[in-house]
Amino acid sequence: MTSVSEPPIIQTFGLSKRYRKTTAVDDVSFRVEPGQVFGFLGPNGAGKTTTIGLLLGIITPSGGRFELFGGASAPELHAARRRIGATLETPNFYPYLSGRDNLRIVANVKRRGSTEIERVLDLVGLGRRAKHKFKAYSLGMKQRLALAATMLGDPELIILDEPANGLDPEGMREIREIIRGLGERGKTIFLSSHLLTEVERTCTHVAIIQDGQLVRQDSVADVTSHGVAGLRSADLEALAAAVAEYPAARWSKRRGDRLVAELEDGDLAALNTWLAERGIHVSHLALEARSLEDVFMEATGAAGIDGAVDQSSPAEAGGHRLGEVP
Amino acid sequence: MGAAFRSEMRKMWKRPATWVTLGLFGLMTVADLIGEYRRARKDPDDPFFLPEAWSQILGEEVVVGFIFASVLVILLVAAEFNWRTARQNVIDGLSKTQWYSAKVLLLPLLSALFLALRVAVGGSFALAGTDLSAGAALFGTAQLSALGGMFVTGLGYTSLALFAAVAIRSSGPAMAVWFAWFAFGERLLVGGLGSLFESLRPVLKWAPVMTFDRLRDYSQYDPETFRRASEWAARHERPAPELEALGPALAGSLYWIVALIVVGWLWYRRRDL
Repeated sequence: MTSVSEPPIIQTFGLSKRYRKTTAVDDVSFRVEPGQVFGFLGPNGAGKTTTIGLLLGIITPSGGRFELFGGASAPELHAARRRIGATLETPNFYPYLSGRDNLRIVANVKRRGSTEIERVLDLVGLGRRAKHKFKAYSLGMKQRLALAATMLGDPELIILDEPANGLDPEGMREIREIIRGLGERGKTIFLSSHLLTEVERTCTHVAIIQDGQLVRQDSVADVTSHGVAGLRSADLEALAAAVAEYPAARWSKRRGDRLVAELEDGDLAALNTWLAERGIHVSHLALEARSLEDVFMEATGAAGIDGAVDQSSPAEAGGHRLGEVP
Repeated sequence: MGAAFRSEMRKMWKRPATWVTLGLFGLMTVADLIGEYRRARKDPDDPFFLPEAWSQILGEEVVVGFIFASVLVILLVAAEFNWRTARQNVIDGLSKTQWYSAKVLLLPLLSALFLALRVAVGGSFALAGTDLSAGAALFGTAQLSALGGMFVTGLGYTSLALFAAVAIRSSGPAMAVWFAWFAFGERLLVGGLGSLFESLRPVLKWAPVMTFDRLRDYSQYDPETFRRASEWAARHERPAPELEALGPALAGSLYWIVALIVVGWLWYRRRDL
């Protein structure tokens, strides 16, 4: 259980990384609390992997700082990293060694015994293929081995970068179940992925990064439910025109016989009053749940991620931005 | 540190390249010493038995072993960057210092291993032709000093290989650069600079490979072998060999070994993984 006095597992303060003229991570600040399953979203090249690399100590920051388990000094960070299981980008193992031997290397570094190797192999369903060489593994098996390696040592924080890459739907489901199981056991999980449905199903919290900058951070529940109103009225044209002029409406669009609009303040009563003052009476007014995909599209300006999300903007989908002609 | 070194041993002994390089050097040593053994049987004036045979066993061919050791160092270290296991090892909890230190420990290990292979194979061949009943000492101070000097030469070659591996981070190019420097690069550079700046010549002769090579001439350690080499040179009207001052050569070699390891470390630590 999470205690109030526990420090955040991860906290960054204006973290930046510049490569000559390119800024990969720009003034990024976020925090991950104990027990969260934290989704880190962003298009390719947004700075997700660089941010994780900074946290894991394999990339040197150009600016800002961060804390892991409340520690920020070099010895504290080194000690903190022993409490982390992580995999970055592709699964990185010795191709000439078997799956089991690769885990022995990891276990040796983490100072864990061989019984734990068998436990994590069974957990990811690789027990029977553990003696085969890593280079003979399919991508799905490599991903499972990476997941097994991260779980060695029973880490408190698990960082996974695109763990479902290259997996078939069944493989994705299995990985999702494993991650969910880890979350239920109280592990803090930091999951970078471009598979929005997977993140929505798995994560409790989410942050969205684009062009190196953090554009949104909240709980998945808040992100997907907060501020979007669904409205119905006998005169939908008049309703749409009125909502388009409503100062707190970020955007609005028609969906069949109703209108949806994102409200900056999420205040339905204020919207209702404002519409009533203009003689528009609504038959339905309620906050609506959005998919993470919708949120991502709005936050990133419909940049899209590898075809994983709908490329159309709200305007293209039949809606309009505030101030645009519907 | 112990954990890092244990991991290194597992990686090394399970890597086919380790056995291929050891096997190739073993075969080359056997072929070379069979030649020596046959020649000795035909020429009674040039026998192949201990302790005289040490001059052949610890001759020029020892360098081949250090070349194999250096190739193996490059394969073991540079591949970690290609496979991104260097990065993963750090993610898994090794510090950069521990990772690099484990690689540095490979240098004495591999230098000693290839030297020991030559000594073991050569010693066995020579022992077969040795009359043990004569009671002569088969191994003495001269041989021990020679082995020490050659071991330092091996450390020099492999530290150059480690530097190339961490600086270039790719096996093929690192091997090409290392070999080019070893085979002709250093001599070309020293020759070129020496002709341009005559005053630099006394310094240039202490270039790394030249310095390491001063410690690998067996005749410098064994007076009897040196005497025979001098007689041979006189008979064939060749320049007489000179006795090197081994102290400065040892100090110079150790300086280069430490410099290469430290600069390699700074280079490795400075760059992102």
